[in-house]
Amino acid sequence: MSSASSEAALGSHRLGGATLFALSARHVTKRFPGVLANDHVDFDLLPGEVHTLLGENGAGKSTLASVLCGLYKPDEGAVLRNGTQIRLTSPRHGLQNGIAMVHQHFRLVDRFSVAENVVLGHRSLPFRLRTSDLENQVAEVAERFGLPLDPKASVGELSAGQRQRVEIVKALYQGAEILLLDEPTALLAPPEVEKLFETVRAMTKAGKSVVFVSHKLGEVVDISDRVTVMRDGRVTGSVARGEADTRKLAELMVGRDIDLSPRRSRAAAQDTLLHLDNVGLRRDGVDHISQVSFSVRAGEIVGVAGVSGNGQRELAEIVAGLQAPTSGEISINGARVNGIGTRNVRKAGLAYVPEDRLGTGLAPSLSIVDNLVLTRERGFLVDRKAALDEAEAFIKQLEIKTPHAHTATRKLSGGNSQKVLLAREIFGAGDNARVLVVCSPTRGLDVGAVEAVHKLLDEARAAGKAILLISEDLDEVLTLADKVMVLYRGSVVHEALGSEVDVEAVGLAMAGLS
Amino acid sequence: MNIGNLRIELEPRLTSPKWLYVVVPVGSLLCAFIVGGVFLALTGHAPIGTFALLIDRGFTSTRGITNTLGTATPLICTGLAAAFAFRMNLFNIGEEGQMYLGMIGSAWAGIALAGHLPGFAAVPVVLMTGALTGALWVLVPAVLRAKMGTSEIVSTLLLNYVALNLVNYFIFGSRGFFRDPSTSFPQGRLIEESARLTSFGSTRTYPTVIIAVGLAVGLYWYMKRSNYGYETSVLADSPNTARYAGMNATKLTLSVLLFSGALAGLAGAMYVVGPAGKVDPGLLQVGLGYAGIVVAALARYNFMAVVLTAVLFAGLREGGASLQISTNPVPISIAVVLQGAVLLFALGGEVFRRNRLRVRRVQQTVSV
Repeated sequence: MSSASSEAALGSHRLGGATLFALSARHVTKRFPGVLANDHVDFDLLPGEVHTLLGENGAGKSTLASVLCGLYKPDEGAVLRNGTQIRLTSPRHGLQNGIAMVHQHFRLVDRFSVAENVVLGHRSLPFRLRTSDLENQVAEVAERFGLPLDPKASVGELSAGQRQRVEIVKALYQGAEILLLDEPTALLAPPEVEKLFETVRAMTKAGKSVVFVSHKLGEVVDISDRVTVMRDGRVTGSVARGEADTRKLAELMVGRDIDLSPRRSRAAAQDTLLHLDNVGLRRDGVDHISQVSFSVRAGEIVGVAGVSGNGQRELAEIVAGLQAPTSGEISINGARVNGIGTRNVRKAGLAYVPEDRLGTGLAPSLSIVDNLVLTRERGFLVDRKAALDEAEAFIKQLEIKTPHAHTATRKLSGGNSQKVLLAREIFGAGDNARVLVVCSPTRGLDVGAVEAVHKLLDEARAAGKAILLISEDLDEVLTLADKVMVLYRGSVVHEALGSEVDVEAVGLAMAGLS
Repeated sequence: MNIGNLRIELEPRLTSPKWLYVVVPVGSLLCAFIVGGVFLALTGHAPIGTFALLIDRGFTSTRGITNTLGTATPLICTGLAAAFAFRMNLFNIGEEGQMYLGMIGSAWAGIALAGHLPGFAAVPVVLMTGALTGALWVLVPAVLRAKMGTSEIVSTLLLNYVALNLVNYFIFGSRGFFRDPSTSFPQGRLIEESARLTSFGSTRTYPTVIIAVGLAVGLYWYMKRSNYGYETSVLADSPNTARYAGMNATKLTLSVLLFSGALAGLAGAMYVVGPAGKVDPGLLQVGLGYAGIVVAALARYNFMAVVLTAVLFAGLREGGASLQISTNPVPISIAVVLQGAVLLFALGGEVFRRNRLRVRRVQQTVSV
């Protein structure tokens, strides 16, 4: 998009006269080995504006943010601050120009206090530090922007949301006028997200500008004045508040129409394939799972929602035979499978997609071919010829982006490695495996990949598989499941049909308030 | 790094072309010889002439290459032992001790059993006994590692010192089973003649070299194609994945360490059926077990490459040792310097295989 048209898009924000941008990028190009991360990118940020830089993983948005804050030097093009070109040599230099970035992975010293972390690296500190003065200053900045923080607290003991606040206070303390936040909501719980937004509003009221770098269509878009979408290193569009609807943004991100509407089974569910009867897991005097009973029938998806750490992992591992339940009965296809070990459970007809795809579901340094034989019966010698044919068929059929079938899975993107894993567990096991346990299958994936994964699961359901979908992403459960259960502290506390879900009731149940 | 307006950068390669797998090791070897040459020149030796002599006495002369192959035979075994365990991320540092135990075990079999066995079975039984005692020597560290996660590095290393003292005790400290009863001079008792192999002609190469190379080829094929090789590679890469797939990590860990110990024990047994014929404290001076670790690292744990690096290593040692006997004697230390240089450059050369060296002009042009 040319600078002329981006200025036209700004017409609704500024009436007449020349617009003075707080920060601009002009034709910024940045190459990495084998990748053109930014291809003549233009970007403009107004004073007092909240601007989201939206794009899928690898679209080049983080690279652009890194160029803007001085971490990377652009190969071509320029960065302008208040209309004047600046040549940033380092993030510190960026900070001197009032530009700060809060990275997705925080850069704090765990053993230091909040106040010490905030002043760390600040050039104009007196020779003798008076801790109480520093703490007061830090507390004052934090309060002004509605960031509740105890300056004396040790950073190692803070939650992710609190650490993020420390990073923001640090940037503000050091005089940042422009704050770039890389995937700021990725690690936050919903109430923390709301608090972050309050802070952002306080900052824009004080004339500061905020850039969100995000691959999620959801909440960040809501508070943005403008959204600039990137794809494959280029800007594909810039949309002002009110003009942006999710569908249009998704299309700009992915380059094609995206269907994220609910998917339900179209045929009546058939016979019960997976059945749990009063299953419990008690270890070290703690009930990880207690009295869980449900069944999954052929041709349906049963979704298990819940906040992470409420027994999802244990439930999945019990069903998959990796842990034996301490009470109750599990049956697959009518046969009891308690404590017979995961290999035998698989023989009984189970396939399992664990939450951690690279490192549990897949061996990261092994090739796609080698990973396809992981959960199958192998003789004395491993038949890689059949696996190679299968791998090539999957690559073609599921559009897995990889140089070839012998590429190590860790070199694939999250979406592509998930496709390999799903392909193995859905198709690789053949008709024998009719029960599928899937855990958080789209965590960390971008919109296009989410759509592909949901489509795969929907097709597997249509093909008559009985699917147990355990996900921390409530939207995902609501989109796919024919039956919804909520797991709270190891118990099922809420059940509803997918088409009749009361979202509020589910939310309360997830919080343990039902 | 910047020089003037030229910027020199290392850029990661996305893929390494095949020719680099040849060019980089050869280049590393050349660099090592250049460094060695500087040392030679500084100490008043003609570099080219010395190298020519070294290569002749280590590799190209009939006597040189057969001596080298003789030394390389047990070294291939210890190299395979190290490579087998290391590629599984199991750091068995105890090849040295396991080799000594292989020597003791095979000497026992050669003295006590061989006489009662038909001729064709004597050598195989003696070799197998050596392999078995080598495996037994690593049993305790292996169980501790597999069951409780105790570091095998420390336990296998410490057992090397126990093994060393055991050999010394049998020969110098006692008048027991392994000591030659016919003389008061402390030396080992010879094993039965039927359990010994004769070398090829008048060389110092024994038929055991065929077994060593055969093992390398066999292991290469087996670990690449078999289910066992597959499962170990999954476990080495990601223990969680192995658990997910229902593999028995304890059994795999145990078997890998035991087999590694057996290979090292076999090295000791080959020394017994070949040149030594007895428990020989001379083996303690050579350090073939530790050298096996270096050989395996140089070969990047590839079993076929272990054969090549073992021969290279043995040749440098043989050639280096024989340089001491020449018109202008070169101290053995120079050969050791050369070995060290080869290792350093070979490992350093990796950087150039994984990265591309780029020199470019620094551009300051900005288009606005």
